Amino acid sequence: MATDDTALRLLPTRFSRVSIGLVVAVGVLVPFVVSGDFWMTVLVSAGIFAMGAVGLNVLTGFTGQVSLGHAFFLGCGAYTAAYLGAARGWPLPLWLLAAGVIGGVIGGIVGPFALRLKGNYLVVVTLGLVFIGIHIFENWDRVTGGTNGTSTSQAELSLGFTDFRSFSIPGKDFSELQGLYYLVWILAGLFVLVSANIVRSRPGRALQAVRDRDVAAEVVGISLPRYKIGAFVISSSMAAMAGAMLGVQQQFVGPTSWNIFLSIQYVAIIIVGGVGMVSGAVLGALFLGPLPEIVEKYSDKLPFLYEVKGEGGIVSIAAFNEMLFGALLIVFLLFEPRGLAALWLRAKARFRTARSTP
Amino acid sequence: MVEHADDDATTEPILRVDDLEVRYQDVIVGLSGVSLEVARGSIVAILGANGAGKTTLLRAVTGLLPVHRAKITRGQIVLDGRRIDGQSSTAIVRAGIAQVMEGRRIFGELTVDENLRTGGFTVRDKAATAATHAKVMGWFPKIAERRGQRAGFFSGGEQQMVAIGRALMAQPRLLVLDEPSLGLAPMVVEQIRQIIVDINAEGTSVLLVEQNASMALSIAHRAVVLENGRVAREGSADELRNDEKIKDLYLGMGTAGRRSYRDAREHYKATNAAAAARAGAAQVGDA
Repeated sequence: MATDDTALRLLPTRFSRVSIGLVVAVGVLVPFVVSGDFWMTVLVSAGIFAMGAVGLNVLTGFTGQVSLGHAFFLGCGAYTAAYLGAARGWPLPLWLLAAGVIGGVIGGIVGPFALRLKGNYLVVVTLGLVFIGIHIFENWDRVTGGTNGTSTSQAELSLGFTDFRSFSIPGKDFSELQGLYYLVWILAGLFVLVSANIVRSRPGRALQAVRDRDVAAEVVGISLPRYKIGAFVISSSMAAMAGAMLGVQQQFVGPTSWNIFLSIQYVAIIIVGGVGMVSGAVLGALFLGPLPEIVEKYSDKLPFLYEVKGEGGIVSIAAFNEMLFGALLIVFLLFEPRGLAALWLRAKARFRTARSTP
Repeated sequence: MVEHADDDATTEPILRVDDLEVRYQDVIVGLSGVSLEVARGSIVAILGANGAGKTTLLRAVTGLLPVHRAKITRGQIVLDGRRIDGQSSTAIVRAGIAQVMEGRRIFGELTVDENLRTGGFTVRDKAATAATHAKVMGWFPKIAERRGQRAGFFSGGEQQMVAIGRALMAQPRLLVLDEPSLGLAPMVVEQIRQIIVDINAEGTSVLLVEQNASMALSIAHRAVVLENGRVAREGSADELRNDEKIKDLYLGMGTAGRRSYRDAREHYKATNAAAAARAGAAQVGDA
């Protein structure tokens, strides 16, 4: 048989195997080097963003369905963590899976809208979810705590013998944040693995065919309902699990955090990272996810920013962050629409041609 | 796929369309009373002007009518003895009809190989898929060279080859082609023509919709001419090639010179006016 199967393998070349190994090794070692609470927080939230962005990438990057409803699914997951994990005291694997199942089911209910709507129309409908979500979160007092929100600090975070809130290996005790870092990035790694496996296999080709030409996809025998809704289910399930971790990290879940800005942040992450590439979602999450926190941290070094009006400076930190996101989105869409991941691919290609032409 | 090729005269045709009526949005009649047969192992061409119903007929055969808010309101379509009218396009692909869509419609972000694999979506047998893949690569050496590249960057002719290859990957019993020569250079059209002949020689029946009537009639066994959603003429390709009206309308070889077959009505008017002028009378002659 003449079929060249390199494209079907998860890690086709030795180079990719080595570089993935290095990335994992660095990831494992980070908490040994970084101990400051601020940078650990940054890395934890980047990991949570990576989880959610990998999920959104399945929907938007592979299947071409742009959604602004991601924040709603994150919120569903966060409240699941608060209600089942903290209030009911379910163990970690159970409340996390429950968040995934709840997200997936709600995604499956919303998905059919995508069969009739495309492009901007789908964006508007998914945006509607965010407002419906905030309304539900504010009014379903018994579960969500209404406008006061609810706490997640009691949520169980242990798996077998490992309590991620305080675990240690001989010679080293990890802080709660460092434990959370491992948990979050292990999950992000799993999500990456799942979505990389989807994209290189039969269902992944089906999703991309739907994205490129949906009628032509039907003509080759791909069922549009199954794959369009399936993408919604996977994506929102991952989003809900990311939301659950976000709820745990913040120790508090309030109704207004799940707003349109959070959704836009996720869309920006996958655009800046590289739409349709699994690595892009992770790169975008690392680069863009914690950016607002970093800007806030270093705002005293930037004279044009103010925290409290009247302190001097011309824009508030929050406004500056929104402007920064907008500017980055525009810059990337204009100059590098395939994102950070494409920059990396291009560097690799240049290296290869430089090597082959003496 | 070639098991019945020897006794095609006696067996059921691979595709039979019976008294088909199609309406768009329950109102506009797209086809009315269309009947035709594709004999096993043959090439049947469908000719007709714009708006004659060629594409509607293909949509009906491949199950794409619902996408265009149309449905079959009368008649039936039978593939190899099994009714397929009203089934979903997915089910029809599985039943054995693959379509090369007008305008190619390849998956631009996917590589050639990925396009082909997606084409074999309904075939679960990996060995069979690999064999078809190798066969397609043999037919199209040009795209085989570029198998790892994104198909969206290819020229029109190469994309058409990817599109045909993709359809073949479904291992169809009937291959349906919608305007495969549209917008391609004459040399590429000749290549595509040859490929269709080769595919047919391997036993796949072909239903070919073409505006390029001389190309279509040069390879088809039979042809059907559609006009205003009805079958206006049907016969062997030889018969139609030598028919004065067909020459006039579709082959650009008639007395009126090379007229656009795209607008049959315009042409009727023109020939009628010419006849009237010749007769020296101001009245309009019969069509």
